[in-house]
Amino acid sequence: MALIYMNMTLAFTVSLLGLLMYRSHLMSSLLCLEGMMLSLFVTMAITILNSHLILASMIPIIMLVFAACEAALGLSLLVMVSNTYGVDHVQNLNLLQC
Amino acid sequence: MTYIVFILSTMFVVGFLGFSSKPSPIYGGVGLIISGGVGCGIVMNFDGSFLGLMVFLIYLGGMMVVFGYTTAMATELYPEVWISNKAVLGGLMVGLVMELVLVFYVLGEVYGDVVTEFSDLGDWVVYDMEDYGFVNSEAVGVSSLYSYGAWLIVVTGWSLFVGVVVIMEITRGG
Repeated sequence: MALIYMNMTLAFTVSLLGLLMYRSHLMSSLLCLEGMMLSLFVTMAITILNSHLILASMIPIIMLVFAACEAALGLSLLVMVSNTYGVDHVQNLNLLQC
Repeated sequence: MTYIVFILSTMFVVGFLGFSSKPSPIYGGVGLIISGGVGCGIVMNFDGSFLGLMVFLIYLGGMMVVFGYTTAMATELYPEVWISNKAVLGGLMVGLVMELVLVFYVLGEVYGDVVTEFSDLGDWVVYDMEDYGFVNSEAVGVSSLYSYGAWLIVVTGWSLFVGVVVIMEITRGG
């Protein structure tokens, strides 16, 4: 296995841990989600380019489209939270008290 | 120069640590932009010129700009830098130590046994078997999105449209 896959897996795992362990801002978790998408894009692109799978070159672009959809949805939720509370602190998301 | 991809991927991971340690989001966006630029360099080292420029144009130029001004809207008066909070600095240092330990371990293995183990532990060097002439084969593959991937275009276009409608419903409020 090539060395670059180790670093790509590490980057994905670091972003995943950053997404799961949030601090105060909801925006930081959305940025970690974007980081996961970026590491997946680079991994997919180098696998496809190195194996000369020419027709599969469109798959990273499709993945970028769906990542953009997901980012836009996350940002719209953040905008609504920010409209209600002024900042996007996750401690404000406390309506569910069980 | 054979290991330029490995060096770039190490910088990629360090950039990821920069925003995963979660300083204030505006500095996290800076780390993601740096990682995006380095990721473009990694993809370009494998002859992926179109996909690399796609990262810059669509990902950084489209999505990160939106993240940037949303962060500007929902941010605080005194944003935290990486050194202003012990939790952020501790996370960054732990990640950096982990990355350096792994890099030196791997490089130790490679340089210890270069002649016999190079094909297992070395980095990739792209081996071109066919002669594609004057056309970049990867650009041909991406442009086949409009011929072989017509149904993919329909599905992604429809899902983007539905996404826009969903976002308008969410932000209607009330």
